[in-house]
Amino acid sequence: MLQIKNGGIETLVEDWPGRLGYLGKGMSASGAFDNVGLGLANILVGNSFGEAGLEITGGFFEAQFGIDTAIAVTGSDMKPVLNEKAIPMWETISVSKGDIIKFSHIGEFGFRSYLAVAGGINVPEYLGSKSTCIFGSYGGFKGRKLAAKDELVFGKPDDEPSDSTGRKLKKEAVPTYKREWILRAMPGANTSPDYASEKGMDHLFEHTFKIQHTSNRSAYRLEELPDNFFARSDGGVGGSHPSNIIDHAYAIRGALNICGNTPILLIADGPTLGGYMCALNVINADLWKIGQGTPGRDFIKFKLTNQEEATEARINQKKLLSEASLL
Amino acid sequence: MNKEKYNVILDAIPETKARLEILFRQAGDGFLQVEYGRKQRAALQDSFRMLAINDIILTKKIKGLIETVPGIRTNLLHFDPEVITNKALIDIVKEAENSMPAIDKVVLKSRIIHLPIAFEDSETKKAVEKYQKEVRPDAPNIINNYNIEYIAMCNGVTVEETKKMILGTNWFDSGGGFWPGGAFLWPMDPRCALVVPKYNPPRTWTPEGAVGIGGPCVFTYTTPTGGGYQLFGRTIPTFQFACKHPVFKDGPFLYRNADRVRFHETTEKEVNKIYKHVHEKIDYKYQIEEGEIKAEEYINWYNSEEVQKGKKELEAKQAIGVQKAPRL
Repeated sequence: MLQIKNGGIETLVEDWPGRLGYLGKGMSASGAFDNVGLGLANILVGNSFGEAGLEITGGFFEAQFGIDTAIAVTGSDMKPVLNEKAIPMWETISVSKGDIIKFSHIGEFGFRSYLAVAGGINVPEYLGSKSTCIFGSYGGFKGRKLAAKDELVFGKPDDEPSDSTGRKLKKEAVPTYKREWILRAMPGANTSPDYASEKGMDHLFEHTFKIQHTSNRSAYRLEELPDNFFARSDGGVGGSHPSNIIDHAYAIRGALNICGNTPILLIADGPTLGGYMCALNVINADLWKIGQGTPGRDFIKFKLTNQEEATEARINQKKLLSEASLL
Repeated sequence: MNKEKYNVILDAIPETKARLEILFRQAGDGFLQVEYGRKQRAALQDSFRMLAINDIILTKKIKGLIETVPGIRTNLLHFDPEVITNKALIDIVKEAENSMPAIDKVVLKSRIIHLPIAFEDSETKKAVEKYQKEVRPDAPNIINNYNIEYIAMCNGVTVEETKKMILGTNWFDSGGGFWPGGAFLWPMDPRCALVVPKYNPPRTWTPEGAVGIGGPCVFTYTTPTGGGYQLFGRTIPTFQFACKHPVFKDGPFLYRNADRVRFHETTEKEVNKIYKHVHEKIDYKYQIEEGEIKAEEYINWYNSEEVQKGKKELEAKQAIGVQKAPRL
């Protein structure tokens, strides 16, 4: 059991790959915004990589353990302490009943920390996932972020939690965080020549975009595009602006929606359908980097890639999120 | 540089008498968009075909196909590229398309869901009042504290005629999305095809069951949320998170693709009573009929002299209405 003392800025129960199969019902997949951070934390404590853990955004989370168990903290370095004593990240540590874990504010790099517990977080599955959709207020812990006095129950671990204590990751398995995130992306569904100009698409793949502070788990907003981005002067029957299109399903997670002149990455909790064109799609294996992008501070750059590389990257990520990454 | 570097059209099949050209667009490493026609149009016959083909694809239970998300003229295939390639998916869609060569073969399973509606009810009036107070005090789409007169004005008809049009047609669900359990409902009878602009800026709150229209589509609000559709009444629950009522036993959603919704006017008191019987007593009997849509029959009816005459008459009224109605 975990008793929350301070929910911090936004702490959510999330799993991976989230709630798949409900886009046509208006429900995005949600899921861990940085699935690599969550996955590695899970592997460290002996869970499967997609087990539910806590996604701590922005920091200031504080909670007390009700049992002896094993935990791992990954992601952004928010200077976590256990009973006021610094704890190492990216490795398994044991905690005892009564211990208090506390996170400071976001670190120099990254925006989200992950806390995995042996056995995972035991919230009811809703439509096949334990993930919270904060936008729609469902799933996870009562469909909301955690708050003081909430009590979370842990799942039953397969092995004794103490078995995993002291586990560390191979150095090459720990992801590198930067302030400029290179996201591999495939163009589509709406590109040049019919929707965007070739110059516009070049700009998309050459410019370094600052992440706007108005970003959240549904949408990461980027700097505006110039008018010459568009190949059309208006959206025809779709609407007056050239970014308008007759409503179509959005390929989330990962679509770059062009909403007026504003490019918006549709991610975790994002809308599943709408009337704006989508110029590119961040590959599945790079979605995690968006989750570590800090609004108002970090930058995003898109790198052109293709299906073969993207599929290969998925396979490599699966290898990374396995016991093969343990030291 | 390669001129084709941003080409996303992986394949295409040419137009036939029965359908438009079909484009296969890359939409990410796990998504393929199937699009009907290069030129955008919103025509129900495209949706009928799209959904009939979609049914064929889903029946095949393709390994690696996570889901499909049909829209009025597109279908998005969400897949796992480690299990199936986009090329294999394209071949499957082509095969399904080729199995339905003529329009008379397009027969779509489609239920009719009968929904009671209370026009100008007090709950949706509260949402309009809140908007006027907190968001846009001078909103030109609010006349006599509500939106229905604005809807009528935009279409050059009276409020009574507006209600008759809402009640007078089946509303076709071309596919869900955007909000949990939501469906975009299109008028099947073009003589009832109201069109209105959406709120600008949007509302911050809309009650569960609110019914509104934005552009050509009607939407029944599944849960309390913001929104931009012009409100005209309130219907019974079309969604239930807790899945307690038998109609929601397989999931929180009432609507399925290709459903037809028919509204029937009732009192606000009756609607409120039904809420209790859906959410608390869980004994309300939804009126749902099984059925099908024959695309050819529909198109012949749509193109009949009588329907076309009525369609033109409405369009003439709308042309005048648009001039009169203030822009948002």
